[in-house]
Amino acid sequence: MTATRTEIFSAGIVEAGLGTVTREIPAGEPPPWPPNAELTWIGKDVPRLNGRDKVTGATRYTVDVRLPGMLHARFLRCPLPSAELRKLDTAAATALDGARAVIALARPGDRLRYAGQPVAAVAALSPGVAAEALAAIDAEFRPLPFVVDMDEARAPDAPLVYDEASAPKGNPSGFPAAPGLPVVGNVRGPAVVRRGDPAQGFAAADIVVEGEYRTQVQTHSCLEPHAIVADWRADGLTVYMSTQFTSGVRQELAALFGLPLNRVRVVVDGMGGGFGSKSQLGVYGRTAVELSRLAGLPVRLALDRHEEQIDAGNRPGTFQRMRLGAKRDGTLTALAIESHGTAGVALGAGIGFFAERIYTCPNFETLQHDVFVNAGPGCAMRGPGNTPGAYGLEQAIDTLSERLGLDPLALRDRIDPSKARREERRIGAERIGWSRRHKPGADPGAVKRGMGVAQSLWMSNVQTNVACEVRVLRDGSVEALSSVQDIGTGIGTVMAQVVAEVLGLRPGDITVRIGDTEFPPGGPSYGSRTTASITPPLRTAATRVLAELGREAARMLNAAPEELEAREGRIRVKSDPGRSLAFRDAAALLRTDRISAVESRADDYPGFRRRMPDAAMAHEDLGGVQFAEVAVDTETGAIRVERVVAVHDCGRPINRLLLESQVQGGVLMGVSYALLERRVMDRRTGLMVNADLEHYKLAGVHDTPEIEVVILENLQGNSATDAYGIAEPANIATAPAIANAVYNAIGVRLTSLPMTPDVVLAALGKTGRS
Amino acid sequence: MNRFAYASPATVTEAAAATGLVAEAMVTFDESAVLKAGGIDLLDLLKLELLTPSVVVNLRAIKGLDAITQDAAGNVAIGAMATLSQVAEHPLVRGSYPALATAIAGAAGPQLRNVATLGGNLLQRPHCWYLRSPAHHCLRKGGGHCFAIHGENQYHAIFDNHACAIVHPSTAATALVALNAEVELHDAEGATRRLPLEDFFVGPDDDIQRENALRPREVLTAIHLRKPASGTRMAHLRQGEKAGFDWPLADVAVVLAIGPDGVCREASVVLGAAAPVPHRARAAEQALQGRHPGEAAAGDAARAALRGATPLSLNAYKLALFETLVRRAILAALA
Amino acid sequence: MTRPEMAGPGKTAITLAVNGTSRQLELEPRTTLAEALRNTLGLTGTKIACNRGACSACTVWLNGQPVLSCMTLAIDAAGQEITTIEGLAHGEALHPVQDAFIEHDAMQCGFCTPGMVMSCAALLERNPHPDAEAVRDAIAGHYCRCGTYPHVVAATLAAAERKP
Repeated sequence: MTATRTEIFSAGIVEAGLGTVTREIPAGEPPPWPPNAELTWIGKDVPRLNGRDKVTGATRYTVDVRLPGMLHARFLRCPLPSAELRKLDTAAATALDGARAVIALARPGDRLRYAGQPVAAVAALSPGVAAEALAAIDAEFRPLPFVVDMDEARAPDAPLVYDEASAPKGNPSGFPAAPGLPVVGNVRGPAVVRRGDPAQGFAAADIVVEGEYRTQVQTHSCLEPHAIVADWRADGLTVYMSTQFTSGVRQELAALFGLPLNRVRVVVDGMGGGFGSKSQLGVYGRTAVELSRLAGLPVRLALDRHEEQIDAGNRPGTFQRMRLGAKRDGTLTALAIESHGTAGVALGAGIGFFAERIYTCPNFETLQHDVFVNAGPGCAMRGPGNTPGAYGLEQAIDTLSERLGLDPLALRDRIDPSKARREERRIGAERIGWSRRHKPGADPGAVKRGMGVAQSLWMSNVQTNVACEVRVLRDGSVEALSSVQDIGTGIGTVMAQVVAEVLGLRPGDITVRIGDTEFPPGGPSYGSRTTASITPPLRTAATRVLAELGREAARMLNAAPEELEAREGRIRVKSDPGRSLAFRDAAALLRTDRISAVESRADDYPGFRRRMPDAAMAHEDLGGVQFAEVAVDTETGAIRVERVVAVHDCGRPINRLLLESQVQGGVLMGVSYALLERRVMDRRTGLMVNADLEHYKLAGVHDTPEIEVVILENLQGNSATDAYGIAEPANIATAPAIANAVYNAIGVRLTSLPMTPDVVLAALGKTGRS
Repeated sequence: MNRFAYASPATVTEAAAATGLVAEAMVTFDESAVLKAGGIDLLDLLKLELLTPSVVVNLRAIKGLDAITQDAAGNVAIGAMATLSQVAEHPLVRGSYPALATAIAGAAGPQLRNVATLGGNLLQRPHCWYLRSPAHHCLRKGGGHCFAIHGENQYHAIFDNHACAIVHPSTAATALVALNAEVELHDAEGATRRLPLEDFFVGPDDDIQRENALRPREVLTAIHLRKPASGTRMAHLRQGEKAGFDWPLADVAVVLAIGPDGVCREASVVLGAAAPVPHRARAAEQALQGRHPGEAAAGDAARAALRGATPLSLNAYKLALFETLVRRAILAALA
Repeated sequence: MTRPEMAGPGKTAITLAVNGTSRQLELEPRTTLAEALRNTLGLTGTKIACNRGACSACTVWLNGQPVLSCMTLAIDAAGQEITTIEGLAHGEALHPVQDAFIEHDAMQCGFCTPGMVMSCAALLERNPHPDAEAVRDAIAGHYCRCGTYPHVVAATLAAAERKP
């Protein structure tokens, strides 16, 4: 039985009025923090500490790593969407001058299932020689029937991507993830979630709304491609990798190559975007390590842009049939969704748990299906499942509110149990000027304006397999260490703020060392969990080293350790601040050159809603409400998103400047998803025709609306920092908010993404295309 | 990119002689020497290995090819090597040919406009995603058919699209054809010829593998613009999927000569991203000539502009879009 | 008729003036400026993201003008002043745009940042007091997947304010 103590925490949404909550917490946990207004660094706009390196080009990304003797690797990829490998002869490639290692990734007779699937790989002295070696590989492919379109793949006579035996069995990171589902043709599922009795719910409804929604395949389009430099040596393996999860990749490598964990080191400094696609070792990672092992030299493998667009993951496309039943007052009586989605040859194309959790509805059912097509495997992407899921449901809710004659916000006030979102709706409505919203299509003239709202929901994830270390050295220098990687959120700066707050120093005084598995496991940068996972143990560790320092200082100051505090660079007596020691002088009293504390992530004080190996979910989900204002040119079909107000919560915000950046990024990715992005597959050749950044269109600065970000301080008394994440919620609500705004502008509902001019003109009946 | 040698001749004649070939627009994709102006499109084709020349002949060392000058009669000559930035910002262009300045200022981004030349822009190859895909051996590359006609043709042609459905990628060309520009071509013997830009472009019915009439051993050296008649009004409008830095779904240039009586004497209406070459909408021009242009005439012209269009499976939306742009461009020219 | 002198196709001597220093290189004519900077000179601050002129991550200055180094042959840059992100600051003193980028958090993953900085700094060198639309035009060709555009515009305007 661990010792505990009772503490009273500030709790509630600061902007709406604070209360308290009493918690039993483990005795070793630090005391409650007050609201941010009473703290020095927490909740403040601290510019990122590695900013200088980023603006001077000094940050070292994986693609910048050059090791002595490094080889360059490239893949031979399947040129056809579906083929049998008839022949693979690598002898000439191996014999080529300058080629150092060649490996086959498929065998003659193997079925290849998408254009771009790796077949072989070479490592050579230069990229040029590697290209020559690839050309020297004698490979023959027998074309097989294929299907790249999801609707065609669902037809009974469609070419089969897999037979039942070969189909993937389950994917722990996918949605729907359920193992053991039936596979019929190219369709796997359904994964069923049911509560209550939907049939009865619909029977009890006064009004039933139905809708069909379609979302496209989106590629992650990270600007830094997937890249690795693998350095296999007799005494161990070091890989430099653009990864969202250094310690996860280390686990994978150790297991795959039979190495002890302490002989595998994974390092990343700069990380040029991941968005979910760099969470695992992947075929490219495995291949580079194998090539390095064979060649006995470091191997660099970086995808080119074409490879990046066809075989580095994507957000699956979906088709959703939605049915909602409600009472006249808006109370939901039933919600039923059937979805089909495609992650290409992979699983995980569901619509998440958005509908399952966001609104109060006693009778609920989702049937989610994966449809296999001959295209590159999908993977998690910023708010996986929930992003397409919200696009469908939030439009259905908008339709319901209109049918009920209720304001969309009023309807949500009735059916949404989240206190955070209630406050977010209130604030957002005020900021956007919701009272100006007119009836659908009411704007005169060719360019019609409209306003819409949509909501976000994501789980408050916590990685429990996380630890960090804080060190104080005898010269007063301080280090915070973790294997956690900075995917671009500025987690290192957040860490420095936490340590600085505890030690009474400035964030710039803290040396943050991250992105290296030599340090305690920092957990992944995915699932909006990094800050939630790492800041509580960091604060606890900092508190412990301070206590140790305090014992030395107390002797010097003739005070009891518990009478001391660390403020403004000094250790001082709380009741008599004049009695103090500079932090540096206190450190000089240490018996050893360095003291250190390592702490791991404790459970949330009230426990977790759900536990998994290495991870858990906090009780309260993350919210977020976004409002969009658009102008639709009904004669050109062009939609311009003029303004977005994004109101979000993430527990206790640690750094508002960095949070604002992240929310802007989520909104931008949502605008891009709503208006521009789409993987285009030619149905006759089975090839992606826009596998570049010229025809695969991302939002640029001229597509960027004015974005107003509001972040609530939502205190819950859940951990030593009470912080949670924001990256995914910031993306989930944007596309449906824009879609609802477009409906409000033109009075016609668009039900597929992206909402390009051709789609708008078609919806307005101006193309003769239905 | 394959390995190639590099030459930097000092004169146009030398350059023309250095290659038996045309500039960045190739007769075929496998010739052995190419001319390089700004090099933007050339590098793209080299990287895709759609071009594998043995020699790249650089034109940038040739002096004077980037001059923008006006003769005594007020006609303007733009050197083919003038960058898009130079052209778009030049007072002569902005003052007399604002539609050209607008068309160019909206092309690509500033970093590209600082390097890309007007000549290269006119000679760039189409950006059809099948043409640019090494995996699609299309008609224009000597293959058996046009993939776009029954494929992903949302960005493709709505006119003259029965054999090959590319659209001409240059928005500058849209404006220049509307301005009745001429091109000056210089050959290896030092002879020059001039022809209307409109006749310089070659449609798929004339030659499926080239987009212009540049001959072997010939270099495009200048673009000539006549002094606009007084009362000339013009506009260029574009619509992309993105609000900037995007190929247009549609672009339209309109040049109107309005007499002192307010009657339209002459009209040029040219559609870009509509056909394999800049598409002159003669019916629209006729609908304007001899009329007091206004809302009604603009509407008539816009409808006339789309007469005879043969949209493909995914690009019928362009009809409505062009109709809007033609009408708005006429009104913008008059405004 | 004289045939012009040929260089290549093998390695040929190319002199590049990079950040104020003359560098003698042996490069094939097909080498792009981005490759020469990154692979030969080790100036990896210049990034390659699309490698096709569609994202502007590789922006450097040639004679003070922002251009795309991935769409420029190194041999074409000979004789011009090349400025890369590594050469923008004066010693410890950052360019005002760099300072403002840090202060306004005009970066996330940072991969597009060097190119963005080069384009925004070039704008201010040419137009010391741009409005927001001019800043947007200057970075119209840049892609930032993290979505830093609002902070980039704010930072550049703030840097302009600060400039005398």
